[in-house]
Amino acid sequence: MNVLEVKNLQKSFGSIKAVQDISFSVEAGEVFTIIGPNGAGKTTTLEMIEGLVTPDHGEIHFGEMDWGHHAVSIKMKIGVQPQSSAMFDLLTPEENLDLFATFYEKARPTSEILELINLTEHRKNQVKKLSGGQRQRLAIGLAMISDPDIIFLDEPTTGLDPQARRHIWDIILELKKLGKTTILTTHYMEEAEKLSDRVCIVDQGNIVTIDTPSALIEKLTKEREVRLSFLDGEGAAEEGAIFADNLNSVARTEREGAVLKLWTIKPEDTLLDLFKFTKENEYQVEQVSIREMSLEDVFIAFTGKEWRD
Amino acid sequence: MNNFNQFKKMFSAQLKLTLREKQAWFWGIFFPVILMVIFMVIFSGSSENEFESEIAIVADNPNPTSEMLLSQLTQLPILDVKTGEPVSRNTAEQWVKDQEVDAAIVLPESEEDTSFVLVVNKEDERGVTTQALSAILDKMVQQANLSAVGAAPTFDIQFESLTSGNNELNYTDFLLTGMIALSIAQGGMFGMVDLVEMRRKGLIKRLRMTPAKMGIFGLSDMVMRLLFSVVQILLLSLIGVFIFGANLFISIPSLIIVFLIGALSFNALGYLFSSFSTTQNAYMGVANIVSFVMMFLSGVFFPIETMPDWLQPISNLLPLTYFAEGLRDSMVYETGLFSSTLWFGIGVLVIWGVLSFVLGSWLYKRKSIVAAR
Repeated sequence: MNVLEVKNLQKSFGSIKAVQDISFSVEAGEVFTIIGPNGAGKTTTLEMIEGLVTPDHGEIHFGEMDWGHHAVSIKMKIGVQPQSSAMFDLLTPEENLDLFATFYEKARPTSEILELINLTEHRKNQVKKLSGGQRQRLAIGLAMISDPDIIFLDEPTTGLDPQARRHIWDIILELKKLGKTTILTTHYMEEAEKLSDRVCIVDQGNIVTIDTPSALIEKLTKEREVRLSFLDGEGAAEEGAIFADNLNSVARTEREGAVLKLWTIKPEDTLLDLFKFTKENEYQVEQVSIREMSLEDVFIAFTGKEWRD
Repeated sequence: MNNFNQFKKMFSAQLKLTLREKQAWFWGIFFPVILMVIFMVIFSGSSENEFESEIAIVADNPNPTSEMLLSQLTQLPILDVKTGEPVSRNTAEQWVKDQEVDAAIVLPESEEDTSFVLVVNKEDERGVTTQALSAILDKMVQQANLSAVGAAPTFDIQFESLTSGNNELNYTDFLLTGMIALSIAQGGMFGMVDLVEMRRKGLIKRLRMTPAKMGIFGLSDMVMRLLFSVVQILLLSLIGVFIFGANLFISIPSLIIVFLIGALSFNALGYLFSSFSTTQNAYMGVANIVSFVMMFLSGVFFPIETMPDWLQPISNLLPLTYFAEGLRDSMVYETGLFSSTLWFGIGVLVIWGVLSFVLGSWLYKRKSIVAAR
């Protein structure tokens, strides 16, 4: 079942076309991630879906509801964590949550949210004294206070240290367990790969591709990079290279000192043949690795751009 | 959650925000109190006894005329005769030179001698004290002349001072009401800086993402600001009345109306500033200039009538002029609701408030289209 459907969204600011043509739909219970370089139109797309910015063209449907007719009902159903984690700095996390709870018809108990975002200990400190990660967690908590079905998280981990980032991943995975739908934007490929059910790559206001992370990587290429480092030195590596070049599955080889690199469409077969060869020649192989393909490679392949964190 | 509960929760949050904002306390409470105390100490110290002067009397050659004049002079409460006794002319002149006394009066040296001498320091030649003293002596001379020819004075001056209502307006009252007007006005003009901060940090945007009723949020904010101003009025009045002896004759209905309209108008002015200021500093700059100009041109510290004629029309345009006057009317003169002057002032305040609010709202809308991100 689709909880959100977006069709042909377009938005310009003056002469800048922030969003050219974006359509997708999100299923109940999935983590849907939008990735793309800065200025790709991620935030504008989110803000249109959240009802903050009116699209120049296109439709947004939350099930049967749309912004024109059901603005308040939609706001009751969604929770938003905007990029600027805006909250009342002079209030405590507890007071912020209590205040936001009054905005909604139904709200989860504040203590429950504090537990979930791991801020129970700091519930009585003013927000201005919290660390970046704690603020960010509170921002997510504020998005969850109304127990919404759909949660929007706009770059929730940007600028956080690895541990704080992991904290937030735990919260997102927890939301998934609760059956919530999460729409996420991120700068970190690793994060998109780890958390998302589906990834949507956006560039220059258009969708480049949408699929599951593994399918995207699969789609990318059939060739995998395999490395073997020989304990017996360059000569052994050179012989290995000559052997590998004659295998049908190997596309090409490269040698750096005692390390042999090769690109193959069937890593299993290639490795089996290679190990037969080393066994016969009694060469010792110190390290073997098959390089993992990541979303980063997908991104580079689809957009032709280098990824920068 | 119903509207009233939402209001209560929002109000309690606003209350906490205000109580925890140190700047609000400094500029809203501490600063006006200090400013008022300083002005009152400097300028209202002499208002209790309007004129008093220390003099020396020289009667080198006591005679019936000089005895008679001496006794009259010493009876005048406003003249304080140094040492209480006549002194030699040399001593008296030395005192004048050293400014230990304001003046020396040399009494006639014999019954036939009819001239007084008033000795003053060159520096004080044109001073108020000198003029007052010579007027006093003049009067005594005239009386002496009249009695010398055996005539009773035909014309007499009786002194009476008038104010429009209660007759006890003195500088303390004037300053107290001016300071209350100023601090409420500043509270409005400076207070809206929160809005700039809220917008800069994206908090307004954040609230718009929730189904929160912004009208109720605005109302709770406004009620908080009005309450803060009530605290300002009470605190300044208490200090004025109990420490500096101000006299207040309050017309409650007039005060409530003037207070509400004034406070709302100045908040509207602050709202206007916030609509075109993108940073806190920009806002504070504008608010400071406007408040500084008004502080001195609106008859807060000194009556407008004492200012140069060409400046007065400007004062007559400023809202603070009418707010201060309105507060004076309702707090000192006990002016009721049937005064046309009062309503004229309220009218000017309403015009300022409405224009500021409309212009501010228009600028907010316009900006939200241009800078939708």
